Amino acid sequence: MYFGAGVLALFVLAAAAQASRSVWDGVYTAEQAKQGGDLYADQCASCHGLALNGGEMAPPLTGGEFMSNWNGLTVGDLFDRIRTTMPANAAGTLNREKTAEILADILSVNGFPAGSMELPRQTEALKQISIDAVKPEKK
Amino acid sequence: MRQSTAQRTLVFSILLVATSAAAWSQSNGQPSTKSGEWPYYTADLKGSKYSPLDQINASNFNKLEVAWRFKTENLGTKPEYKLEGTPLMVKGTIYVTAGTRRDVISLDAKTGELNWVYSMREGKRAAIAPRQLSGRGVSYWTDGKGDDRVVFVTTGYRLVELNAHTGRPVESFGKEGMVDLKTGMVSGTGQQIDLEEGEAGLHSTPLVVKDVVIVGSSFKEGMTVKTHNNTKGLVRAFDAKNGKLLWTFNTIPRPGEFGNETWESNSWATNGNTGVWTQMTVDEDLGLVYLPVETPTSDFYGGERPGNNLFAESLVCVDLKTGKRKWHYQVVHHPIWDYDLSSAPILADINVGGRAIKAVALPSKESFLYVFNRITGEPVWPIEERPVPQSDVPGEKTSATQPFPTKPPAYGRQFLKIPDDLIDFTPEMRAEARDNVARYKTGPMFLPPIVGDSNGLLAALTLGTAGGGTNWPGAGYDPETHIVYAEANQSGLFPISLRNPPQGFSDIRYVMGRNGTDFVVSEGPGFGSAADAPKPAPRPRAAQRAPAQNVGGLTVQGLSIVKPPYAVISAVNLDQGDLQWQVPYGETPDAVHNHPALKGKDIPNTGQPGSVGLLVTKSLVVLGDSQITSVTHPRGAMLRAYDKASGKEVGAVLMPAPQSGSPMTYSVDGKQYIIVAVSGGAYSGEYIAYSLPSED
Repeated sequence: MYFGAGVLALFVLAAAAQASRSVWDGVYTAEQAKQGGDLYADQCASCHGLALNGGEMAPPLTGGEFMSNWNGLTVGDLFDRIRTTMPANAAGTLNREKTAEILADILSVNGFPAGSMELPRQTEALKQISIDAVKPEKK
Repeated sequence: MRQSTAQRTLVFSILLVATSAAAWSQSNGQPSTKSGEWPYYTADLKGSKYSPLDQINASNFNKLEVAWRFKTENLGTKPEYKLEGTPLMVKGTIYVTAGTRRDVISLDAKTGELNWVYSMREGKRAAIAPRQLSGRGVSYWTDGKGDDRVVFVTTGYRLVELNAHTGRPVESFGKEGMVDLKTGMVSGTGQQIDLEEGEAGLHSTPLVVKDVVIVGSSFKEGMTVKTHNNTKGLVRAFDAKNGKLLWTFNTIPRPGEFGNETWESNSWATNGNTGVWTQMTVDEDLGLVYLPVETPTSDFYGGERPGNNLFAESLVCVDLKTGKRKWHYQVVHHPIWDYDLSSAPILADINVGGRAIKAVALPSKESFLYVFNRITGEPVWPIEERPVPQSDVPGEKTSATQPFPTKPPAYGRQFLKIPDDLIDFTPEMRAEARDNVARYKTGPMFLPPIVGDSNGLLAALTLGTAGGGTNWPGAGYDPETHIVYAEANQSGLFPISLRNPPQGFSDIRYVMGRNGTDFVVSEGPGFGSAADAPKPAPRPRAAQRAPAQNVGGLTVQGLSIVKPPYAVISAVNLDQGDLQWQVPYGETPDAVHNHPALKGKDIPNTGQPGSVGLLVTKSLVVLGDSQITSVTHPRGAMLRAYDKASGKEVGAVLMPAPQSGSPMTYSVDGKQYIIVAVSGGAYSGEYIAYSLPSED
């Protein structure tokens, strides 16, 4: 297939823009996080705590230890971790949409800002969003 | 086709070319750390975690590289992220448990190549078990003449013996290679529990000594129990050759047995738990076994069981041949803090003031090292009964006093001292921390739980209780220098609040929870994570999450409310009864390093929170970080070596994920290896073997 130079440039720009996105860039919507909050309470809270602060048998999903586990990885990594293994006693029962909503809730509770674009459902797209524990300096 | 047992077993094995046993055999045909092996979970029967190997030392630890790795994620129906095993190495072969089905694997110790896998499909029995996931590992029995067996407890609480060479069940052991450990487990006054759904499990390794296999028991998490009358704990010994029951020790004494009267109002008959879930140790020569007994039901409310409740939270010494009690020491009376007895008792031959003493030293969540004469049970240094705060929870009657060892000093923080133990990186952080803790009841050690209220005092804010000090990984000991090395979590804040359970949930008056919040059931570690765990019934959506603002929060600006060091490693000299050194464990977490409010501040190493296991070699104490960090090295967690004499860090090697099981070491063909289990976060369970590059 032949792409004109302009189209190709758009691809490159889009890729570059995606690669530079981080959780600080408003990567989910407030509505998604709200839906995710209900889902979280139903599906996750009995082990991870209503406030995401963990329990005797499940790690916290907020705070220093959680952030250090995921800092430097991507939202796609976290998405797939949830999608393939959670809830622990019913792995694979949350579809991609619900998983994205729960993830939006987790991002929200961890202080990452909401934005106007919904969190994507596709792992490949989510892998373009980096998890940076520290807010980058303004460019 | 009807199967003879409810479960199916699968063994994938490869016929092994017999390795020469001659190089390994001791005079008695038994494996030993002296020949470079690691034949017990704790290295030896004395709980030392000590190996005399010294090829890997301070001069070359930094050069360690991955020799091989074994990823466990395809064992079971889904990956495990909480791999806690410590492998054995006997005669050039590694044996350990792995995966969400708790399979047993045999690997070539030089290459990590898989020899065989044993997998028992236990169905519902495992899926609802109180102790799930891969467990801590296996044990080994040999007659010294080629009959070599791997011994382990399945998720569904069956004791299994496998032929170490083939991985196939030893037909002459029990019934088709297994003993159903649920048989003989009772509740109430002696009601046999259901073999499928009855509550009992274990994830520690059996204690194999001579021709005896000793097995403990454990139960569901005791925070929000449905009944105080659940399964009763016990310890049993079986004949290693045929699985025949040799003796039973009732950790809740029956009428006529010593200690029964400490369950006042006949409460022995209506209470359960009180198992032995951690590693036991044994003095083979004296013929004495040391049982670290845990908490009764429930963890935080004892109103249904007035009295001291022997042998809960007691170190019990029993006769190896008969299981009869020789002596005991209860370290917490009428337990309501989930202290348990978390760690393998360490057998130490020490010298105090010119007197040789055969001692037993017990590391603890309390960060006390309780030291006794292991023949008589007398404390080596006086242990004083001191008055402690009393409970005001209706129906609860706390013990007026609790035991406090006078020596050695505590090796970790035991309660939250206000304001001294609060975060003080900046005055603002300290002030915020003070405001937050004002919402809690605080006080000294043995601060009892309260009935918490969202509009009043939230909880009794304890530290060094359920998640404090030294937990299941235990400590280590150098038998030459008589020094115990222990890691202790110093930031394990545990707010304990009780509430009445929702109507119809439980027969116990108080469970963990807080008035004014939704009631949430707390399950056991890994509960619902076993390979075939069923899908739970849908729950009603919770109405409210805890308020977003940090009211009574236990963090300040994202950091722990507790002042560093978050955890410490200590060397405790058992001849002197003192602390030889103490250093922060691990390195400063990224969250502190990168905190905007701390920019430009010179903050000494804070250490990392967590309770992890360690390995003691000729010259090093080896243990890995509990957290991923990425400021001073590429993203990962470090496996670190500390100089035994000073505690100074002398080397480190990168792991891809935090240490989740205690490390071990062994030597094959002149090369020393260190294996550690890593997992957590994005990284599924993996055993990694490190060794020095060939030129070294």
